[in-house]
Amino acid sequence: MGFMMTLSTILATLASPIAALAQSEAAHAASQEAGHAAEHVAHAAEKIEAIAAPGVGPMWLLLIPVLPLVGFVLSALCAAFRVKSKLPAWLTVLCLGASFAVTLGMYLQVSSGQIANPSVATGFEWIKVAWGAGDAHSIIANFGLYIDSLTCLWMLFVTGLATLIGLYASEYMAGDVGAGYCRFYAAFNLFVFSMSCLVMGDNLLLLYLGWEGVGLCSYLLIGYFYKKPSAVEAGKKAFIVNRIGDLGLALGLMLTAVHFGSIEYSVIFAKAQPYLAALSEGRLGDIPAVVQLIPVLLMIGAFGKSAQLPLYVWLPDAMEGPTPVSALIHAATMVTAGVYLVARAYPLFLLSETALPIVAWTGALTALLAATIGMAQFDIKRIMAYSTVSQLGYMFAGLGVLTSTGAAFHVFTHAFFKAMLFLSCGAVMHGFAGQLDLRKLSGVGSMPGWRVVGIAMLVGCLNLAGFPVITSGYWSKDMILGGAFANPHMVAIGWILLITAGLTAYYTFRVYFRVFVGPKYFEPGDEVHGHAGDDHGHDHGHDHAHADHGDRGHGHDAHAHFHPHAPGWAINTVLAILAVAAFAVIGLRFVGGHEGWVSGLIEHSSANYGGHAMYAAAASHGGEHAHATFFGYDAHQAMMYVSGVVGFIGIAVAFVLHYAGRTTAAKSRADALLPLVGPLAKWAQGKWYVDELYNAIIRVPLLVAAHVFHLIDKAIVDGIVDLFGWVPKFTGSSLRPSQSGVLHGYALSMAGGLAVLVLIVVMVMR
Amino acid sequence: MMDRLAYLWPEIALFIAACVVMVVGISPSVATRKFAAVVAGLGVVAAGILAWTTTPSGNAVTASSGQVLLPGLALYAKVGIAIVALLLLLLKPGTVDRAEEAAIALGVQKFDALRTNRAEFFSFFLFSVMGLMLVAGADDLIWLFLALELTSLPTYIMVAISGGAGREPAARAQEASVKYFFLGALGAAVFLYGFAMLYGATGSTNLNAIHLSLTTGGVSGLALAGLLMSVLGICFKIAAVPMHFYTPDVYQGASPSVAGFLAFVPKTAGFLSLLLLASAVGWTWAPGENGLTVSGGGTSLPEPLRILFWVIAALTMTIGNVLALQQKSVRRILAYSSIAHSGYMLVGLIAGPGDGSFTKNGVAAVLFYLFCYGVMNVGTFAVLSGLERKTRDGQMSEIDSIEDIRGLCATHPRLGWPMAICSLSLLGFPPLLGFWAKLPLFTSAISAGEIILVIVLGLNSAIAAFYYLRLFGAVFLEKPEAGAGEVTASPFVSRRVAAMVSAALVVALVVVVGQLTDASRKAAAPKAEPAASATIPASMNH
Amino acid sequence: MNMLASIPGVLDAAVLAQASAPAPMAQSQLAHYMFISAALFAIGLIGFLTRRNLIIMFLCTELMFQAAGVALIAFSRFHMNMTGQTFVIFILTVAAAEAAMALALVVLLFRRRESLNAEEFSEMKG
Repeated sequence: MGFMMTLSTILATLASPIAALAQSEAAHAASQEAGHAAEHVAHAAEKIEAIAAPGVGPMWLLLIPVLPLVGFVLSALCAAFRVKSKLPAWLTVLCLGASFAVTLGMYLQVSSGQIANPSVATGFEWIKVAWGAGDAHSIIANFGLYIDSLTCLWMLFVTGLATLIGLYASEYMAGDVGAGYCRFYAAFNLFVFSMSCLVMGDNLLLLYLGWEGVGLCSYLLIGYFYKKPSAVEAGKKAFIVNRIGDLGLALGLMLTAVHFGSIEYSVIFAKAQPYLAALSEGRLGDIPAVVQLIPVLLMIGAFGKSAQLPLYVWLPDAMEGPTPVSALIHAATMVTAGVYLVARAYPLFLLSETALPIVAWTGALTALLAATIGMAQFDIKRIMAYSTVSQLGYMFAGLGVLTSTGAAFHVFTHAFFKAMLFLSCGAVMHGFAGQLDLRKLSGVGSMPGWRVVGIAMLVGCLNLAGFPVITSGYWSKDMILGGAFANPHMVAIGWILLITAGLTAYYTFRVYFRVFVGPKYFEPGDEVHGHAGDDHGHDHGHDHAHADHGDRGHGHDAHAHFHPHAPGWAINTVLAILAVAAFAVIGLRFVGGHEGWVSGLIEHSSANYGGHAMYAAAASHGGEHAHATFFGYDAHQAMMYVSGVVGFIGIAVAFVLHYAGRTTAAKSRADALLPLVGPLAKWAQGKWYVDELYNAIIRVPLLVAAHVFHLIDKAIVDGIVDLFGWVPKFTGSSLRPSQSGVLHGYALSMAGGLAVLVLIVVMVMR
Repeated sequence: MMDRLAYLWPEIALFIAACVVMVVGISPSVATRKFAAVVAGLGVVAAGILAWTTTPSGNAVTASSGQVLLPGLALYAKVGIAIVALLLLLLKPGTVDRAEEAAIALGVQKFDALRTNRAEFFSFFLFSVMGLMLVAGADDLIWLFLALELTSLPTYIMVAISGGAGREPAARAQEASVKYFFLGALGAAVFLYGFAMLYGATGSTNLNAIHLSLTTGGVSGLALAGLLMSVLGICFKIAAVPMHFYTPDVYQGASPSVAGFLAFVPKTAGFLSLLLLASAVGWTWAPGENGLTVSGGGTSLPEPLRILFWVIAALTMTIGNVLALQQKSVRRILAYSSIAHSGYMLVGLIAGPGDGSFTKNGVAAVLFYLFCYGVMNVGTFAVLSGLERKTRDGQMSEIDSIEDIRGLCATHPRLGWPMAICSLSLLGFPPLLGFWAKLPLFTSAISAGEIILVIVLGLNSAIAAFYYLRLFGAVFLEKPEAGAGEVTASPFVSRRVAAMVSAALVVALVVVVGQLTDASRKAAAPKAEPAASATIPASMNH
Repeated sequence: MNMLASIPGVLDAAVLAQASAPAPMAQSQLAHYMFISAALFAIGLIGFLTRRNLIIMFLCTELMFQAAGVALIAFSRFHMNMTGQTFVIFILTVAAAEAAMALALVVLLFRRRESLNAEEFSEMKG
């Protein structure tokens, strides 16, 4: 207790609010000190009981997935009736907004206990395969919703952000009003529907349906500009890389079905109970290898969808899609599906000795790798993409080091600020004719009409960099860092993540200092978004700014006449709301459960499931103390300062290198440092040549094999197949004369056929 | 008496509608005449609703309320029939009287009630559907015979008058009706003789009594001969080998709207009769399902009957598929494919009900397949009836050649896509409805140990892929013909609607496949033993 | 009748017969009827296959129907119940309906082609 007091006195001189918090934390930690192992076990047992039997949820919850489906149908109808206005956007916002409202209702009822946590609302019986009598011989997958606080958390930001981004896109996509607009919104709605199936489904198969659904929508939207080869390539890449992950998920699903005899969460969790009990008693040997394999397979799926090593390569390329899509699907929601899967199946992950450490290491290494690549890129949207990969790595690391609360909180805060960052970048791209190179833009934030974007960008950057105290990103990242250092096996991960935090702060503010402040300068891009895939002309449905300047389709030669057009009300409103929200979620850290609102939600869901306690108990069976420290200080306490300082350093370095003394857009002090790091900068800029590596070890051999097999196929297999095709054809042509068209021929054949059949029966019976 | 009448509300509704249609259809006022189709539709809807609400099912069924061997059959079959009949009805407007109506509208010709066919056409439609529903509720050979004839007789006339005014189509329709009618009469005589022998062998025409007699006294030679002849005669209705010869000529000669009708209504009637006959001789359910036990009979069909079905099934699907390969006429392709589909369904019949669970239940598979086939098939014929081109004498006639549907997805997307979707579904392409329909046929046959038949079924599905993909490729991949402008969409919008609804159902019903299969499983559920033992003696006396 | 009464097994039936109910039929007698019925059926079938005139062909199918009728009545008598005879009444009704239809069809065809030769209707084939 002594060092706590000393610590808090030092803190009081720094910032009193933190001190107050630290004291409450300290008090909390102290209360936990006392004999926590026994308490945890009891805690765990209580949790297991609490989660085992789901209640019956009300049917109106089905509106949450159904409303986006309605939006999809309406948008498709708009396409069918060739609507050439923004109607699909407003219909979408209406449907998604309503869905959000219902979600809010669901959350309120769940938190007030009117809906049991967890509960299942079964829409209808979807798939029921039975191969015998009894439960053991059937697989049931209902279209049912599994409602617990984890579901609420995810659906709140999915539907909320989808509504906002739908509104943003109404302006952003204005250049495409017509068939493209309807197509965009149809896929957008379908995405939200699939995502809600994924998150709300009460069984793994419905999750899988949603999983494939969001993958499909992602593919469709990445390839939205389908006349642009790079967009098509990116779409294909995303789809194919995801297939690898999906294979893992599919196998995991099947193995679950085989081993547990069910794919419904409630049943799986109940049947995992004995294993969890064995785990908490330290009898790891009692858990069969099959059960330990399931989480590893599920994890592969999660890594694919959430862009983790080694399957992260698709996400940066996915930025070929329209920016609202990047913001919603590839930053805020879909890519967190992997995190959701791990959180949902957390009880299963706990059962495996290897699964969670792999998750933690993969997450940490991905975070570091993506951050280093992000430092060396020049395309601001791509930098944001790498930062997404990196932040997803944080989330996985959080899950891996057993702070599912931290991971979920980071998902939640990240959803807001990353969406906002993307939308800000999108606004820049929209306004500067597709320009995204940070060497060709400068001082955008102080240009007339760009104030909101500048502020939003600053807020987003502060959050991403983890600027202490006033940003939500700081609090959530902190929770993960603290969790890593607190776990005795995961200290190395803590260090990796800490370094990454510094790098993050650096590359984030590199973008901000170069693009949004400093001397005003811009070069317009050589393409207009929507230009490449625009199959119906540019001119109808333009907003006013476009029409005034007539900037469309000019490109470089029009440089002299180019005027950037500032974003309109829809973009500004959405950015403003998100900026406020990014701050507001800080408040969530201090209400609700002992580590904030999110922890309150997580602890009452499968993502906890007595997890901490169980693991701690298991560890203490091994004679180890469950809590590690950071140089003698409590890890959670210390991280608040250390990560804050690291963030500051990152920002400061960015300030010195990219702001101070910079007179042009293209040159900065950082250029002078390049020779010092040797080829490292070039390699990082080349993304560590991972794509090339994959190309060399996977794609090229496959192509060679494909050619070889093609030859074999041509030479041998086709011949056999042709033979098989020829036999029926020959039989057919030799039988055709029997269809002579003459009544008597038919009658005779019928009578003859009758006789022959009767004869056959008689012969066989003899 | 009254409770048996209560069992017939759907048929009564159809009968009333048919009578009203006969009067309304000959009204001198055009609007009233056209209302005949609406009345028919209302009749079918009413029948469907009544079937849903009033049909007793399960153990509530007594001997006096219909057949007891498959107590759940009537409910499932009648509701399904009403749904498909409604789709089929959408194809019907404009099939008859088109030229006459046009002439009347132009004032060239005066309305003459004796020269128009509308009233007869729609009421025959209703009568035929009514016959089909009666087949579903049959518990007696007399009833079954009358119901089968009621199903078939109107269709002969429908084929004959469906040719319209054009010289060539009318001649073809008449040729079709000649072949259909005369061969149909031959087939009817064969199964009628079979029924007579069954009666002779068992002393009763009541299916329950026949069941009791055959299962306790064994299957005598006379009974077996009767069964063989009944089955072979009914094969005409389902277009199975060797009674299939008429099918391509009739489907090609009749207008597609009537051909689509032929592909569902007589075929369903035939299959339901075969199910009733087969359940009267063989099959029993293994104990356990819902605690029901059934005594008597074998676990599968009597061996001679099994062999008969086996040979018919294998030949039917093979001949149907190989003959479809080299056709140029889409209608003939669909006719041969309809033969092949009958072969597939016979596999389920052979497999029998297994232990009652859906994957092993061939009877449920057949019932489910019938419904799915009805839905998919309407789509393809609706597309054909939704397109037309000028014949040599200037009349419009529905298309036939595969050349005419080239590039349909591009030229007429509202017809092209249904064609593409329905042909893929007929092929059994996952995840469309046809796939889910075919799956239980395979699983039930495997669990019944009919491995060779399953291999034949699999090979045939592969052969079928040739021509279904040809249809799909023609509408989806190929470029429209140079003279594609000659092919125009039919002015009768309801046909297009039918095509689109059918395609939509093929996709959408996949979501509720679970419920549908469950319903068909219940429809194939056996009678409960206590009720059976109590009712059969009573029914023998009536 | 006397001969029947002298056989012990059918004594009850003979008593029944005296009480104005007809005596059941012996197997051997049934066989005669069955032979007639089968012959009718075969004649009908052969006629259908060999004749070319549509009206004659239709009459042949009628013959086949009536063959079933004969068999049913014989069986009815054999089993001593009325079901078979009831069936025959319905068969006659259906046959009448079919005849009406056949004639209507024949008239329709004759108007157009001036021929009732079944072989002329063979345009569609393959």
